[in-house]
Amino acid sequence: MRNWSLLFAAAAVASVLAFVYAPFSQEWWLPNASDNYWHVASSYGNQIDHLFILILIITGVVFIGTQVVFVYAAHKFPDAPGRVAKYIHGSQRLEVIWTIIPAAILVFIALYQMGTWADIKFRSAMPKVQPLAEITGRQFQWMMRYPGPDGRLHTDDDLFLVNDLHFVKGKPTLIYLRSADVLHSFYLPELRLKQDAVPGLTIPVWFDSDRAGKLELVCAELCGWGHYKMRGNVTIHDTQAEFDEWMTGKMREQSVDQLVSAQGSKGN
Amino acid sequence: MRPRLCRMWVVWAGAALLPAGCSDAFNAGPPRYVEQERLTTDFKDKPVLQGKVRAALAKHFGDAPNEIKVPEGSGLPLGGAYLANYVKQGDAVKSIAYVPATPTSGSSDPQPVEGGYGLYRKHCLHCHGVSGAGDGPTSSFLYPRPRDYRKGLFKFTSTPTGAKPTRSDLRKTIEYGLHGTSMPAFEALMSKAEIEQVIDYVIFLSLRGESELSLIDEASTSDEKDPEALSEDVVKDIIQSVAKKWQAAESLVMNPPTPRVEPTHASVMRGRELFLGLNKTGNKVECAGCHGPQAVGNGPTFVAQEVFNHIVFGGNPSAMPERVAELEKSDPKAYELWKTSLDEWGNPLRPANLNRGIYKGGRRPLDIYWRIAKGINGAKMPSHFPTLEPDKIWDLVNFVLELPYEPKLLEGAKLPEALPAAKTAGNAAPTASESIARGQGGL
Ligand code: HEC
Ligand code: HEC
Ligand SMILES: [Cu+2]
Repeated sequence: MRNWSLLFAAAAVASVLAFVYAPFSQEWWLPNASDNYWHVASSYGNQIDHLFILILIITGVVFIGTQVVFVYAAHKFPDAPGRVAKYIHGSQRLEVIWTIIPAAILVFIALYQMGTWADIKFRSAMPKVQPLAEITGRQFQWMMRYPGPDGRLHTDDDLFLVNDLHFVKGKPTLIYLRSADVLHSFYLPELRLKQDAVPGLTIPVWFDSDRAGKLELVCAELCGWGHYKMRGNVTIHDTQAEFDEWMTGKMREQSVDQLVSAQGSKGN
Repeated sequence: MRPRLCRMWVVWAGAALLPAGCSDAFNAGPPRYVEQERLTTDFKDKPVLQGKVRAALAKHFGDAPNEIKVPEGSGLPLGGAYLANYVKQGDAVKSIAYVPATPTSGSSDPQPVEGGYGLYRKHCLHCHGVSGAGDGPTSSFLYPRPRDYRKGLFKFTSTPTGAKPTRSDLRKTIEYGLHGTSMPAFEALMSKAEIEQVIDYVIFLSLRGESELSLIDEASTSDEKDPEALSEDVVKDIIQSVAKKWQAAESLVMNPPTPRVEPTHASVMRGRELFLGLNKTGNKVECAGCHGPQAVGNGPTFVAQEVFNHIVFGGNPSAMPERVAELEKSDPKAYELWKTSLDEWGNPLRPANLNRGIYKGGRRPLDIYWRIAKGINGAKMPSHFPTLEPDKIWDLVNFVLELPYEPKLLEGAKLPEALPAAKTAGNAAPTASESIARGQGGL
């Protein structure tokens, strides 16, 4: 049945076309600002995209290469009455080749990305600012603890929120990431940030955005049956003043002691 | 962006699944309400009354979860448009899953309206169960167990002991979750309108469940041969009286009579004395009897922490009854304490560790005031108002809120004297069901 090879060829061609088409469609391409989908909002976003596209090209070339060989072989050597498969014990030369080439590619990527990694993840690269919040992933939500007016965490004016991240446009922002139970992953797709939250560790994480607006925070590590619930709202404020006003409002809500004000500040 | 991405995935996933063949063999059939066990066990020789209870429930609430009927006068949207994606009109069951989008959304595509039933199935059912019995498939792995709504009893309310929660109480629970438990926060997962729909559905399930219990009570005292037993009027009265309790809640909200006392050191120390029962004047309170002298939740009124841990966490969750039976044999005293350490749903219960600064019912001073003033329904935590004046309750609130930041506050503290364990809790502490029986204790 040599025609099967045509089906496989069609699948490979469709996949390649999908990837070729992707950059031309906002919905298919990497998540970016709605007004300009080539623009990444975070300052290290372009570095990440560069690596991403590089890896896409490498895997794309390998994919096309292997598919061509595969379809060719399937087409050229269909089953034929009377022909018997040849048994070979293995080929050391082949094995060495197909081990060394991928290993070389991996080593290349590992060396090539080191600068980016250092810029984003090294402690020395962390912005020298007060942390915005301590964020703890737990099954199944993000618990957020803001330092409150005194700027210090773990004091009695801390602000506690769930799934609600706020920060200011244009400012490098630092958070401390923790986990209360299992592995979670703090993922802001538009800002190209992904960081695992590891039980027992407090991990500093930084990000920024040059656009104000609303984004989504998600968990990118399958952490249990409620994984899909770990979604948070992200609000990027235009100015520090706007952020402070939001914070003051939330602090007021948290210190409500009479119902009149409870209704007033909830606004419904 | 999302819908289109979704469609793309459907195409891919469909292509992948086609050869495998689609099957819903895993689907256990249409959803069914579970019945109270008593309806089987107590009605062995009363088949007529048993049938009447079932018929009454089906008539007023619908036969099955996907045929919702809302009893009239319940205060819920009639017809169930937002309760369910199916409504029963006359004899026909009609799907209203697709209705045109609201004009504000700016698109003319019809949008599915899931309704409370659909949303509940998607977000809540796996814990709270089809009937709201707290028996969803994930529930046995959780401590504390998800709420069984059918008793009509809710813990975190702004209303007096035993009364129903207001809609805003439920909204707060659903939007922010119950911290320290597995009850998640849904604010980021649902729109405001959706949350209202899911509240309607929770109230519907609770209304149905509590009506079922009342009908069973009524039927068990009725005469099997009396043709008038459980007549239509009686059934309607029963359902109405449950519904009225829900409607009454909105006007029962307890506002603290005085604003919060300044959280000064002096106030915190006064709260500490009250907490430990060391105050020289006024009514004694013994929070420490339950919460323990260091407020870690290990007071003598409750079974020891090791015993609790062994039974609740010491192995397969479904083998808990066996571990309890073992305890009965090995340590009858601890077993007695274990039996009185359960909540009104019969589930294991632990006093809160107040050093962690994690509060299920919210951390606003108002929330803590409510917890202390009116207790926690169904969870043994007693009410302290009007036994304690509001100012003293505020002192306690200030103490509770300060404790996580000043762990030394209770260092070396002891229980005032050897208290007879059973008496420690006895501070004007009606259980929630007693208060319900008394008509919610007018305040
Ligand atoms: C992961 C399991 C889980 C899910 C999912 C879940 N709940 Fe809960 N829920 C709980 C647990 C556990 C409790 C009880 C906590 C306790 O008793 O301390 C609870 C309690 C409640 C209560 C009672 C609050 C009170 O004051 O007594 C309400 C109401 C409630 N849930 C509504 C919902 C709704 C509505 C949804 C879906 C939108 C939902 N829950 C989803 C686990 C869950
Ligand atoms: C009879 C035992 C008992 C007594 C007495 C008692 N509590 Fe509790 N308390 C509990 C239990 C049990 C819980 C946990 C309820 C739950 O998790 O559902 C609790 C929970 C709490 C909480 C946590 C509420 C939340 O939102 O998570 C606070 C705060 C609290 N108690 C304070 C006090 C104070 C202050 C006193 C004394 C005025 C007191 N308790 C007396 C049993 C008691
Ligand atoms: Cu997660």
